[in-house]
Amino acid sequence: MSADLSRDLDQHRGYLMRVARLQLRDEALAEDVVQETLLAALSGSGFSGKSSLRTWLTGILKHKIVDAIRRKQREPTVASAFGDIDSELDIEDFDGLFKENGGWETKPADWGDPDAALSRRQFMDIMDLCLEKLPPNTARVFMMREVMELETDEICKELTITANNLWVILYRARMSLRECLERNWFAGEGAGT
Amino acid sequence: MNPIRKALGHIINCKDVSRLVSRQQDADLSLWQQMTLRLHLSVCAACARFERQIRFLRAAMRRYSE
Repeated sequence: MSADLSRDLDQHRGYLMRVARLQLRDEALAEDVVQETLLAALSGSGFSGKSSLRTWLTGILKHKIVDAIRRKQREPTVASAFGDIDSELDIEDFDGLFKENGGWETKPADWGDPDAALSRRQFMDIMDLCLEKLPPNTARVFMMREVMELETDEICKELTITANNLWVILYRARMSLRECLERNWFAGEGAGT
Repeated sequence: MNPIRKALGHIINCKDVSRLVSRQQDADLSLWQQMTLRLHLSVCAACARFERQIRFLRAAMRRYSE
């Protein structure tokens, strides 16, 4: 393969590491899957140029991460890797956002035209920050759903959790991210500029 | 508070709505859930805003992974 592609791929390494790290919470394993992804990209001929290089790489990475999670699940030590999930299953954690009668304690703020933020690099940095603040299992599940775009029954099967637990985790992830983005972006200087 | 909203609040309040809005991203809601959710969103600006923001999160995550 050409030196050009090899150099282009290297530019995406940082991004791939970020996604893998958030997903796996294991530095060594994250490096492994990123390495495998880049190797697969170099040896494969799958890149058609129809999608961006990054999208294509993310597609490969998704599969590598799913494989890694599957492998991990089979290891006896892994019960602990996903063991502490109970603390992330409390849907009532977010009840403080609501009044006794179920109304908003603090109403969601006006975000103006949020789509404008999507093209801004600084906004993606805030996304990073907010994702990193999520509890580990919550982040992992949310990434499986929203980045790897797995269906909910696949996630339940992979992680052996109930559909109800999954909904609670995804709810917590969304509530927390929404709040974090509002506080760090939409309420501040970044919005609308 | 306007009386329709108050009555509706007994059937589905903002906290319930926040949960349904999230669940809607992952599963089909029952007909009853859909109806009460739509009705609530049509009279509650705060929840309508919340719903748009949760939809935006998905778009933002797609962009994040591109």
